[in-house]
Amino acid sequence: MFNGFSNSVRGASHEVKNLVCQDSSAHKVHDKYAICVVADGHGSKKHFRSNVGSQCAVEATVETIERFYENIEEIEANLPTNSKLIIRNIEKQIIAAWNVKIMEHLLHNPITDEEKAPFTEPGEFDKIPPESYYGTTLIAAVIGRDYTFGLQIGDGSLVAIFEDGWTIMPMDYEESNPANITSSMCNANAASMFDCFYNKNKVPLALFASTDGLYTSFGSDVDFLDYHTIICSQLTDLATFEPSILKNLQKRSHFGTEDDISLSCVFNADLLASKIHVINDKVAENRERAKTRKAEMLMNMHKQKHQAAMRRAEELHKKR
Amino acid sequence: MSNENTKGFSGMLDFDDDDPLNATAVSKKSLVIFFLIDTSGSMKGKKMGELNTVMEELIPEIRRVGEADTDVKIAVLTFSTDVRWMYSQPISIEEFEWARLRADGVTSMGEAFKELSIRMSRGQFLNSPSLSFAPVIFLMTDGYPSDDYKAGLKLLQANSWYKFGLKAALGIGNEANDDMLAEFTGSKETVVHAYSGGQLAQMIKIVAVTASQIGSKSMTLSDETDKELQDEDVYAAKQNLLGKQIQELVGNQNEGDTVPFDTGW
Repeated sequence: MFNGFSNSVRGASHEVKNLVCQDSSAHKVHDKYAICVVADGHGSKKHFRSNVGSQCAVEATVETIERFYENIEEIEANLPTNSKLIIRNIEKQIIAAWNVKIMEHLLHNPITDEEKAPFTEPGEFDKIPPESYYGTTLIAAVIGRDYTFGLQIGDGSLVAIFEDGWTIMPMDYEESNPANITSSMCNANAASMFDCFYNKNKVPLALFASTDGLYTSFGSDVDFLDYHTIICSQLTDLATFEPSILKNLQKRSHFGTEDDISLSCVFNADLLASKIHVINDKVAENRERAKTRKAEMLMNMHKQKHQAAMRRAEELHKKR
Repeated sequence: MSNENTKGFSGMLDFDDDDPLNATAVSKKSLVIFFLIDTSGSMKGKKMGELNTVMEELIPEIRRVGEADTDVKIAVLTFSTDVRWMYSQPISIEEFEWARLRADGVTSMGEAFKELSIRMSRGQFLNSPSLSFAPVIFLMTDGYPSDDYKAGLKLLQANSWYKFGLKAALGIGNEANDDMLAEFTGSKETVVHAYSGGQLAQMIKIVAVTASQIGSKSMTLSDETDKELQDEDVYAAKQNLLGKQIQELVGNQNEGDTVPFDTGW
């Protein structure tokens, strides 16, 4: 049996400016698989409907994946040999479904004078392609009984936890552009800008998709991964724990980068119940490792200060 | 499906000690300031003494810049015959202590540029997820490089963090070449010059504090103009603002002590 949760919280900076949350999130649980998905609307001037764009993106994703899974036996039989082709097809269909949704929204909600008002230069508004009004990122993943796969356009993170407690970010990290220039669903060549992964070598326990606001509230990748392991250790009583997750996301936005934060998770509840001791041990191990890392960092810094002082003393001695 | 959970921040500050999620700390937005400091033999004496003193005084001032909502980290790279990092990784300004420098050897600035280029990457010094701003890079030197600085600069100029970083330079004494420093920063406005100990203290503080303030500013896309700015433009706007503010502040400075470095040094 699969289970899951998804939450989006408005960024602290957006609260102050009275801006709506640009993020959207969703999860969908089925008997043999489950989907987690988040989207981060760009929110800048020309993407003035990106909150709608992100909502359309998560809806389009869930609907598209469900359509591909209508014949679950066939897709699961083909994934091990044709994963890239299948995932590429899913990505293309998501883009197509998203475009249909946003154009339908535009048709029923024509651009208002208020929305056009910030564009004061002659012809400035007319230069913007309509899909840009709705620009958003998208990160989604599917968990099956013995495989996972995911897809992503733009920034954000995926984390997978396996039955032995191993935790990874399955998407390869590329040296980020410091200007945070991100790929988007609204790019003309969006379908070619997706990254994806497929894993069939280890049995997955839980999958998490999150928008950039969560990742950037951490000081290191290790802390980020440990956080997901802690969440996993509490999922056996999700109903009791879910309010804590929401509260923590709000805290992370408020004291972190002040950005919107979305977190969506799906997990194999039966498998987790039988492996909870492994995850609890992992949490305890991570806690000890974090203490060791901090102690080593401080010791290293003191050592280097001491070495610098010794060098200076040596120099003074030579002068005398 | 949710577009936002509408629950507000009420009660958020009531941290529950038993909440297991509190085990992982929240990191503030962070900024790394790189100081590239010439420690060649020509810096010996008053220049290095004054530099050490002003850097010690500067740390609390930068700490004040960051205390509101930015975690400022410091990395110091010195170059003489060899290049050497003061600490093996950027240190949070809260924990940073200046280790006094000594001067000796030749000016391997090109090697320093190469070393900086290697370390300014996600896999090296810029590995914190909370890194929200392009780095501030502040070069201080009193002379002309003794190695092929252009080769090092070429490598550095290909680094994305350098391209988007805020760059400033300080020439110390008569021998420092402002044109070469402008090659490093990309503009003459972000190059200043100090000819005396008093000026050195003033200039280092002006440049470091102004760059930290601008570097840690979340400049929105319409701050400087009503037009939509691309992200690249935001970084260019920050660099321009840095040059403008530095020149304004330098123009307002007193002469300080008037004994030049190059008199009797």
